[in-house]
Amino acid sequence: MADSPRIWVVIAAYNEARVIAHVVGDVARRGYHVVVVDDGSGDGTAEHAATAAAVVRHPVNLGQGAALQTGIDYALHQGADVIVTFDADGQHRASDIERLVAALREAPADFALGSRFLGDAIALSTARRLLLRAATLFTQLTTGLRLTDTHNGLRAMTRHGAEKIRLRQNRMAHASEILAQIAASGLPYVEVPVRIEYTAYSLAKGQRLGDALAILLDLFARRLYR
Amino acid sequence: MTAQIALTVLLAGVLVYAGNERRRSPVVAWLSIVAAVAGLYCTWVPDHATTLAHWAGIGRGVDLVIYIWVCITLIVLLNLHLKLRTQMELVTELARTIALAEARTQPVRKPERRRLARRAG
Repeated sequence: MADSPRIWVVIAAYNEARVIAHVVGDVARRGYHVVVVDDGSGDGTAEHAATAAAVVRHPVNLGQGAALQTGIDYALHQGADVIVTFDADGQHRASDIERLVAALREAPADFALGSRFLGDAIALSTARRLLLRAATLFTQLTTGLRLTDTHNGLRAMTRHGAEKIRLRQNRMAHASEILAQIAASGLPYVEVPVRIEYTAYSLAKGQRLGDALAILLDLFARRLYR
Repeated sequence: MTAQIALTVLLAGVLVYAGNERRRSPVVAWLSIVAAVAGLYCTWVPDHATTLAHWAGIGRGVDLVIYIWVCITLIVLLNLHLKLRTQMELVTELARTIALAEARTQPVRKPERRRLARRAG
């Protein structure tokens, strides 16, 4: 990694006009390059994001996984040394980006994965906590990665690591797919405590219990074809 | 005999279909082959079909053949679903290529802090 790495923050957004300008502004103020992938929004998300970020627009809604891969491709093309994925709904803290990037350098590792269970999860309900614990156990069993948190959208990767990632799960199952690809790459990874602050807005946009079944089905279906 | 020939033709069609799908989705292909071969066996050896049906708790051999046919239909449906997913991946690649091509024609925005620092300097 370079001494002063070019850090690109990738934000996938779908109908986030209410919060995106604030989220992007908070990240951009810290000196990071930001790319927002507008995943076919119909509420002016792209225009709001464009005040402080580069914007890539999907012509149709494809899903968060597809948007993240588009953002990663864009950042790699712009010469990024480090790529950070960051949620658009305002539940992550921009100050955690620095900790993730520092962890990549200090470990050293190619992936730094945010963990709300090593850090803080504000206003996390018991049901969601149990669901996330079950997802973590599933990930440990299927990938062999020793993690405390999965489906956390805050993560950083070196350019070398990002080049090993090719998301084919367009929707929510991408979070499990990326961990499977990290495991398959054999590259070093590290978990970093991060703080996630759930708000009524982020909870309304977030995953539900029924999504867990859809994710499992997506992961299973993906194994059935090449 | 007419029904046996008709079923044989249909099941042979399933085998050809499975053969064509073997490279793209091997799991579905092998499931189809197993179901089709079982169907052919039950069609031409009905006595065994009846014995097997009794053993499986199904009344008649012909019912067993129908159930196998239902299984084949479900497997083919699964394969259609997988084909739709493959098509979606192609659509995704296409949409991504268009989105990135459009984005690359726009100037890249510089980080805000650096711009502010420059302005202050």
